[in-house]
Amino acid sequence: MKILLAPLDPVHDAGLKLIRRRLEALGYTCVLLPPDITVEEIGEAALREQVDMIFIGRTVGYGVEQLFQRVRDVLTRQGVFGKIRVAIGGMAVTDELAKRLGFEGGYGPHTTIEEIHALIERNPELARHVTHPVKHKPAFPFRHDYRVKLAETRRYLDRIVDNILEWTEGKTSPGIRRARITEAQLREVKGSVEDYTALPFTREYLALCDPVVVDFFQKNICPPTVRQLSQDEIAAYFRRIEQAQQQFHPRVLQHDRKQPLVFIQYGTGCPMMDGLHIKVAESRGADGVLHFDPAWGARTEGLLDGYLTNAEDGTPVTYANLALIKRSLDRATLWSVRAHRGLNTPEIVVLAAYLGADLTKINIPYGSLCGGTDPARLTVDGVEAVRLAARFGMPFDIPTNEELAGVPPHKAFAGMLIMAQLGRRLGAKPILKPLLCHGPHILVQGWMEQNYVDYNCAKIRALQAVADFPIWPGEPIGFMTHDEEKVRSAATTALHAALCASLGVDAVTVASTDEAFSRGPITAAARASALDGIAETFRFFGQTDIAPSARVKEWTEQLVEQINRTLKAVADAPSFVEALYGGLLGDREDGVYPGRAGRNSVIVEAAPAASTARACRAAAARKRPARQSMLLRATKPARRCA
Amino acid sequence: MPASPETAPVNPRDRIVDAVDVESFVLCESEREAREVIGQLMAAMGFDRHVIVSLDFNGPGAHFRARGYVNKPGDRYTWLRP
Repeated sequence: MKILLAPLDPVHDAGLKLIRRRLEALGYTCVLLPPDITVEEIGEAALREQVDMIFIGRTVGYGVEQLFQRVRDVLTRQGVFGKIRVAIGGMAVTDELAKRLGFEGGYGPHTTIEEIHALIERNPELARHVTHPVKHKPAFPFRHDYRVKLAETRRYLDRIVDNILEWTEGKTSPGIRRARITEAQLREVKGSVEDYTALPFTREYLALCDPVVVDFFQKNICPPTVRQLSQDEIAAYFRRIEQAQQQFHPRVLQHDRKQPLVFIQYGTGCPMMDGLHIKVAESRGADGVLHFDPAWGARTEGLLDGYLTNAEDGTPVTYANLALIKRSLDRATLWSVRAHRGLNTPEIVVLAAYLGADLTKINIPYGSLCGGTDPARLTVDGVEAVRLAARFGMPFDIPTNEELAGVPPHKAFAGMLIMAQLGRRLGAKPILKPLLCHGPHILVQGWMEQNYVDYNCAKIRALQAVADFPIWPGEPIGFMTHDEEKVRSAATTALHAALCASLGVDAVTVASTDEAFSRGPITAAARASALDGIAETFRFFGQTDIAPSARVKEWTEQLVEQINRTLKAVADAPSFVEALYGGLLGDREDGVYPGRAGRNSVIVEAAPAASTARACRAAAARKRPARQSMLLRATKPARRCA
Repeated sequence: MPASPETAPVNPRDRIVDAVDVESFVLCESEREAREVIGQLMAAMGFDRHVIVSLDFNGPGAHFRARGYVNKPGDRYTWLRP
């Protein structure tokens, strides 16, 4: 088939040139006329070349309808229209307009080559063969050797990890015991959501819970702002999700690099609203999503159950809620459920694992100093959670959001590296999650007064100099550079993402354009806007790197030195737990303090090791209430309430 | 006679996932006046639950984005209606 491509425009013919290349690749013979020709010349060329079809392109949009009416009249007078098929295209042309004017069809700026192919062949089936990108769930994190490169750093980290493992030996907590009960039940029902939710609560479990959880199970009283979703709501929701999945085509954000993967955080309060936001984010190219639970959930012993919605930020962690989210995900979407900071850390890892979550999140220093959990309790629970993550093959990321409270980056990084080395020792795959943002300490020091590039580069390079762990900046990137104005907010997120791409990190967590808006829930449209901005920025930079200024080298070296100094202080402390209480990884002056939730709840099951005894003596010697006690409790056998 | 569920017209507002953003530029003499005008505008558009997301007053008036909520987390969502 021979096709004539004619630009009815003084200069613009790039679109037709592109169509020619693609049509020739499909085997068509094309004749492309030069720009600045008359309609009469187009008709003459069509007759002379004996073409089967004509595509006339008009880039400029004003008066396009009147113009193509005249085109039709001229071609009719020439005996072309009606004899040779004619299609029209351009910025303001739609298929509807073209057909209304009597043309074969129309093509606009978003028309695919498959649609043009279908138009030529008069075969709508061909338009359905649109080549959408195929997305597979990546093996994440990407390949790393997890080696601590600096001998000095490695030495300190190993000493600290030895101490943590020795200190936690023989200790347990209500959180660990609940995790074991929950796992036993999930094993019994083979992970089935319906069967698990239908199980009666156990007295053994409730004995380990706070009154709010006991009231929920025994008296059916929901916490304020929480309500149970009805079966009708759930059924209608899944119909919506199934419909969305049928119409879904994957989109790839990364233009010319494989990384960073782009994650969003969800936690509107309602799992159904979360699910819909996730579908919107997937449709704009997000690679992964992270579950955020409400702050009170972290300070409460025990988890609620069933399909629950919360009218405030943070979606309650229940097995049913997580299952609803899981069912909403595209098969290529990575899913992380954060467990890191509260009294239910090991239990959440168990729930996440049984639902097939790809990742979890655990950080003892952050949860102890910024998340409100007692350091001793979270050390015991955190080690158990890391063991569980290792057993279930779930990589875990280590957020350092204590920086947002004012902790200097080197202290947050030291805590993060301790968690990473602990994770490796226990056979897990840790991921470093530094903040890439205008944090309070950096703001006070004035290190980002000139730009947001240099100090952020120094932070990532310092971590890359210390060890080869996966790096996933968050949470979200660009925090405290956002603005309530949408365009500025999208721009700062997108530029931070481009910087991360340039630094070769594995992934990023990004905000919506509502990040700085705190007077109401964020919207699905705000998620789409931020991701669209990232797509354009990745397209703009491709594989081009951002070149920081020379001062990055000095800042990088300074950070490494400060990290090592902090690690040495922690290694020299009586114990890691004492170091947390003592503020070595962040103190009141930095804006953080040891949490109180779960204080005195560590349970000693076996004789404490020598180092534990030392720590207890040290705590007593400080002449203030010991931060943790060896609370002995008899374990009850598992028994269900009838 | 009421329309059957099959023939009842769909309220387009029921399809909104969460909120409608209105962005424009209002002519005014102060930020306070801008807030009043925007509040009246959103109420006139039928948004009982509205909030000003961003507002930048300078020169001839204010560049703003206001948000009218149709569905908030925890609501019984309009898009779940049969």
